[in-house]
Parts: sequence; structure tokens; C-alpha cells
Amino acid sequence: MELRPDQPTPVAVEDALRDLQNRTLASLDGDFARLVYLASTRDYNSGRYAHDGLNFRFTEPVAERVLAKAHRQVFVSLALSPLKIVVTHLEQYIRSGCARPDEILASWGELEPFRILAPEYDDPITVKLFISNVRIALAIVGASWRENQRH
Amino acid sequence: MSGTLTLFAIGFFLIASLVYLLRRRGSEEEDVRWFRDRDLAIPTAQFEDHRKEQLDRIFGFEDWDFIRNSTSNRIQQLFLKERKAIALSWLSQLRMQARAGMDLHVARVRASEELEPLSELRLAIDYYAFLAKSGFIAVIVLIGGPMALRGMVGQAESLSNNLRGMLRAAMEPQGFSQNTRIR
Repeated sequence: MELRPDQPTPVAVEDALRDLQNRTLASLDGDFARLVYLASTRDYNSGRYAHDGLNFRFTEPVAERVLAKAHRQVFVSLALSPLKIVVTHLEQYIRSGCARPDEILASWGELEPFRILAPEYDDPITVKLFISNVRIALAIVGASWRENQRH
Repeated sequence: MSGTLTLFAIGFFLIASLVYLLRRRGSEEEDVRWFRDRDLAIPTAQFEDHRKEQLDRIFGFEDWDFIRNSTSNRIQQLFLKERKAIALSWLSQLRMQARAGMDLHVARVRASEELEPLSELRLAIDYYAFLAKSGFIAVIVLIGGPMALRGMVGQAESLSNNLRGMLRAAMEPQGFSQNTRIR
């Protein structure tokens, strides 16, 4: 199968993926933080991924492909993880200091912004499972946080 | 006078039937095009990659054991409610895929010149057996409550395998005719 001139080569995609993992994703604390970060590189309106650093070092199509691939990898790994692991990652994300734990717990519980963390075109059941697991994990982390606040 | 009215009624009935049949054939052809475009009848490879893990998560023991041993009653109820909803969604998705596969197959068979009644009968039996089995699991989940979900991985997996086999049989051109063509 021949590649179109504008189509990213597999080697470029692999290089860019390694670059993204080593430079950016490795510095983030846990899979939840990685998922939130990768979902945030996707434009809400067009659904296209963009990343200035990757665009600069590689090309726009390569960056887009790599971000979509990494997003899907992290999402599927988290969505199909045992609930215990999801709870650990969510706890790690909430304690990472991106916002006050009580604020995150309240807004995530009410608005459920984690619904937009799923990549496009994924299996609807995996997406439902992810949303459901986060809902349960939030209840567990919330209960444990409130318990700690009391003592 | 009454003879004229009867003839008029028969004429109207025939025209209405013709219009209905023409419209129905048009929509069947559209269905065939739609299936070919979207390929919805066959679960895609990317979904199939994680089938086993997905079933383990929905129907397995691991998550329930964790919830039962380390959380309150309220969270246990939440977990069971969520898992029940997902199990029903999964069953409904499976039935939708089976129905889409059969619709496509029926549309193809209607356009074929030669039929193999035995293959068709076998496929129809498989289809209704699949529907019965998925209905049975849905009833267990609905009536037996969320606790009935526990340990159903084997049942769910066999149902999913049945669907794959059935869709494969429905999609095989030689399964019903060598001369099949989509009009």
C-alpha cells in the first residue's frame, strides 16, 4: 500500500509518539492526568488534535495522528482497568493539586465533565464503562476524602 | 352502482399496494447501501480487540469483590445499578448488531437469483436461538437483580461468540448463493 505525500509515515508517527511520551506524558502524574491532558489537545468544535511542540518538531498531520493514538491508548487502558486501579488514578489526579479536592469532587459529581474525556469513534460500551467507573470511583474517593476531613 | 364501488375499491387497493411495495424496495436498497457504507453490521476489529477485557469488567467478580470488601452499602448499590445498566446496554448492542446483520442478509437474499433453503433455515434457527439466549440473559439481569450478573462472563462470552459466528455466516456470499448480486 502506497502512502499519499501528505500521509504521515509510520516511522514519523512512532518517533513523535515516543517524543510525546518522553517529553510530555511522562511528566504528568498518573493516567487520569494524561487522559485529561490529551483530551484537552482536541478542539471541541472540529474534533481535531493540535500541539504546538509536536507541530514544530514534526508536522501537523503527524502531531494529529500521534495525539489521537496516544489519547485512545490511555483511554482504553484506563477504561478497561480494574475499578481499584481507576480509583487509585483518580485519587492521584485529585491530590495532584490542579484544583482543590472538594471543588473537583463537587464539580465532577454534578457536571460530569469526564464524559468528554473519551476519544472519538470508540466502542460505545467501553465509553459507557469508563463513565460508569469514574462515577463509582468519584463516590469512593469522595467518601474517603470526607472521612479524612472529619478526623 | 355497488359493482362500480367494489371495482374502485379493488383498484385503489392495488395502487396502494404497488406504491407500498415500490417504497419498501427503495428503502431496502438504501439499507444495503447504508450497510455497505457504514459496515455497522460487523463489529469492527478495534472493538473486538478488547472484547474479553470488556466482558471481564462488566460481568466478572474482580470489581465486585473490591467494592464489597472496601466500600459502604450506598456505593455497593451504586455499583450494582451502574453494572446492570451497562450489562443491558451491552446486550442491546449485541442484538442491534445481530438485527443489522440479518437485515443486510435478508436484503441480499431478496436480490439473489438462487436460494439455498437449508442454509437459510439454519441461519434463521441460529438467529432466533441467539435472540432467545440474549433475551434469557436480559431477563436474568432484570429480574434476578444485579447480583445475578456475577459470574456470567462465560454466558456472555458464548453469546458474543454466537453473534460473531452468525454474522460471519450471514455475510458469506457463498452461504446463500454464488449468483447473489445487490441490485
